[in-house]
Amino acid sequence: MKRAVSPLPPFKELFHKFREVLASHNKAVEMIADMGEKLSGDYLFDVHYIESAYAELSTAVWGSIKSFDSFTRGRYPNLMDAFIRIDTRISDTLANKISTSGEMIVFLEDTLWDMYYDVGGKNAGLAEVGNLLKLNVPEAFFVTTHAFDEFIAFNGLSQRVETLGRTGRASETDYAALRDTISGSRIPPGLDDAFDKAIRKMRAKCRTFCSVAVRSSAEEEDGRLSFAGQFDTVLNVPLEGGAIREAYKKVVASLYSLHSIAYQRRFRYDAGKMKMAVGCVTMVDAVSSGVVYSVDPSGKKENVLISANWGLGKTVVEGLVEADIYRVKKGQVPQILGTRCGNKESMTVVLPGGGIDTIPTPNELSGRPVLDSEVIVELTLQAQSLEKHFRRPQDIEWAIDRDGRIFILQSRELRLGDDQSKKCASVGEQLKSRPVLMRNKGISVQKGIGSGTVYIVKTPGDIKDVPKGAILVSKRDFSAFVRLMNDVSAIITDVGTPTSHMASISREFRIPTIVNTDDATQLLRDGMEITVNIDDEGSAVYEGLIDDMQGCSEENAPSVTEGHEYLRKRYVLRHISPLNLIEPLHDKFRPEECKTMHDILRFIHEKSIMELVDCARNKRASLRGYAAVALDLPIPASIVLIDMGGALDKGRANAKNGARKTATAAEIASIPLKAVIGGMMYPGAWHNEAVPLTMKDFFISMTRIPDIHSTSMSSPVQNVAVASNEYVNLSLKFGYHFNIVDCYCSENPRNNHVYFRFSGGATDIVQRSRRVQFIALILKEYGFTIWTTGDLLTARVANIGRVRMEQVLDQLGRLIAFVRKLDALLRDDSAIEYYAQRFKEGNYELMEGGGKE
Amino acid sequence: MEEQRRLEMSKKIMVIDDEKIVVDMAKMALEHDGYVVETFLNGESALARLKEEAFDVVVTDFKMKGIDGMEVLRTVKEQYPKTKVIMITAFANLDTAIEALRGDVFDFFPKPVKIKELKASIERALEQ
Repeated sequence: MKRAVSPLPPFKELFHKFREVLASHNKAVEMIADMGEKLSGDYLFDVHYIESAYAELSTAVWGSIKSFDSFTRGRYPNLMDAFIRIDTRISDTLANKISTSGEMIVFLEDTLWDMYYDVGGKNAGLAEVGNLLKLNVPEAFFVTTHAFDEFIAFNGLSQRVETLGRTGRASETDYAALRDTISGSRIPPGLDDAFDKAIRKMRAKCRTFCSVAVRSSAEEEDGRLSFAGQFDTVLNVPLEGGAIREAYKKVVASLYSLHSIAYQRRFRYDAGKMKMAVGCVTMVDAVSSGVVYSVDPSGKKENVLISANWGLGKTVVEGLVEADIYRVKKGQVPQILGTRCGNKESMTVVLPGGGIDTIPTPNELSGRPVLDSEVIVELTLQAQSLEKHFRRPQDIEWAIDRDGRIFILQSRELRLGDDQSKKCASVGEQLKSRPVLMRNKGISVQKGIGSGTVYIVKTPGDIKDVPKGAILVSKRDFSAFVRLMNDVSAIITDVGTPTSHMASISREFRIPTIVNTDDATQLLRDGMEITVNIDDEGSAVYEGLIDDMQGCSEENAPSVTEGHEYLRKRYVLRHISPLNLIEPLHDKFRPEECKTMHDILRFIHEKSIMELVDCARNKRASLRGYAAVALDLPIPASIVLIDMGGALDKGRANAKNGARKTATAAEIASIPLKAVIGGMMYPGAWHNEAVPLTMKDFFISMTRIPDIHSTSMSSPVQNVAVASNEYVNLSLKFGYHFNIVDCYCSENPRNNHVYFRFSGGATDIVQRSRRVQFIALILKEYGFTIWTTGDLLTARVANIGRVRMEQVLDQLGRLIAFVRKLDALLRDDSAIEYYAQRFKEGNYELMEGGGKE
Repeated sequence: MEEQRRLEMSKKIMVIDDEKIVVDMAKMALEHDGYVVETFLNGESALARLKEEAFDVVVTDFKMKGIDGMEVLRTVKEQYPKTKVIMITAFANLDTAIEALRGDVFDFFPKPVKIKELKASIERALEQ
């Protein structure tokens, strides 16, 4: 319901309110930046800090909404609703309450970043890859954790699940019974309907017949812990009600499998509290599949490691075959360093009626490399962009279909185990005189030293008898080995890949591991006493035990668990700092679309300025007599000036209505505006020519607003300066980034301040952050106090005299002009210093490859 | 470099704070630099552990239920005069700082504390 809009107050009051809105807005934005910094991982903080910092922030945002409401005379009542909605989510997160959307099933394209709790980590990650990075992912829908709760409650299992988790003493039989019960449980009516609807929608999308992979996505899965291979996945399930429901129950039941329980306990998760979301992801009828590691875990970080086999990826992630291994050097043009063609004895294929089968690889394929150089390069590029986006090394599952299209099936953090070998260097020395049983065979997965008695595992059933401290030697790797990770000293396998689930878990538990040795089960005998040493030099297996490990082995405790609570607290930031409301002309620029506190503030800022512009343009009562003119500048900055009094020279101001509606730079009388504009117009600082964008920049800008590569600066929303003789508030949006200058510049230094805010850009976050670092470097020279977080910079300087202030503003103007397209050229960190130096020397030339010489 | 790493490796740091998130983060950060880190969620368990073994540096929260940071500081100084104590607190004011400094605290930080600064302080403490 729309509220009645009251008549406009006198202009002085309006302007006062406008300034109030800006002041409260700026204060809140600074708080966001500060919280972002404190929670970045660089600080030790406690819950008290988050709570009190958020309490302050929410008060500031609330205050900002209040003054905005007063300024716009209640025009946007929905903004307060948005605030309450976001505030509730944040308060819930702080109180460890988990709020979900309440949907039973959501489709991938409707999954937003903050639906992590709804769809689980793995699904949310896939949605981010598809929706945000626009990489090719299969069609998918997700059965939420809310559906899981309903399912468990509907079947009267809530109590049982909780008790199992809480006591932690449940026996294998208890878990087996629970799994059985779940498999035989009924789907609640609400979920039943949701399944039917989702299946119909998916069929319409696929057009032809299609099948899905039904896969787990537990709440924390693919967050900081890999849970690699811990839950069931049912492949090639026909898109048909009965089959999907059965597969759903099977996957849910696997939450309580023995090895999954062992894993959860190891990382101190309460199995009774874990929730399972499930993804139904359309099957890619894969010609080839595999895994990319965005860093090579056994070697150099600048290399990418790809493993591949024909058919589905199962053989690769389960380490069933000797897959192809490709090592590639990262870069804009990746370089293939080496190819090791595996013998790929078997491959997994989809069966026409549903299900899969692992068959011997046809002779003409088994010895042939799976990937050609073009695909290797493309996979590397995609791995690089995933790593950049998620800011951590990635473990990526991919597949290529019959049309040669690459699909990303999953991208999760690649956990690199700490290098234990260095801490045990002295033990390594002792070993040198020992007889060597095996040297540099296979592929090292996790460095370190392990000493113990050989225990050879022939079938997965053998693992229950493995004695404590044994060295596990196995024909191939099994993800079920997770149950032994607390007990074994090292793992060696005949067959396997460094990118398998077991390899992930070995690294997570820091168990020294070698895979693909070919014949370790032949060379080593049950009961033999050996020591395994894996370090930078390679791997070796020595005869005999080391008695005194000098603390090497007790270092195996993983430290990731400790990050768990930290991460959960940090989630509040996801409701605070990201900016989703970017384009004011977009129909999504509405209070209902605000997802974060930052969105609310952005909305307030944009609409406040528009309100003022509106008043001026439409000559509404209160603004009658104030000029709103377009500035006619030699640079295409499209600025509208609203003269609050004394911003234009007298002759100009007297012209008022009926006169031409533009003013030149020479006619500006506002001291601070004149100085900034003067800087922007400084010869050479403003570049009109297009800056060359890489394909990736172009791709990113396409997903945002693609005008950085164009020389035209016709902005759909005009830039606005609200100014008086001694004051200016200047809002500039160029392409995809924002500048705000708020300045008071008078004869009295104590009144004077400059506030500058810069955010956004069309290139990726790394390059945008570099631009912000560049700006910070320059502004520091002028005494600004600076806060940066990601691509947002706020800077302030106050209490300086008028002459100095004009110099500072002139430089700021040059900086605003100069950095417009700079991000596209900041391809590495060295370029920041390079351009900063040149800027300080007054050299405003832009060139490709700057900083590279 | 390698030598320095090994030197640090043998250094033992105790971290005490009644909030798990603080000790967890401190442990992660300090272990990353090769220190051996033990964490405690209250002064009682920390002092019990100190009876068994000496630590090179103790990082403790100021305000805790039961045995607080000042008492930890006093006990440590009695038992192991050479052990350096670094205090962190969410409720920083001049009085607490003065009280801590009188008690021979090596360094004093308000929370949130920049990890880099805490590490630098630990390094300085170990050099002395």
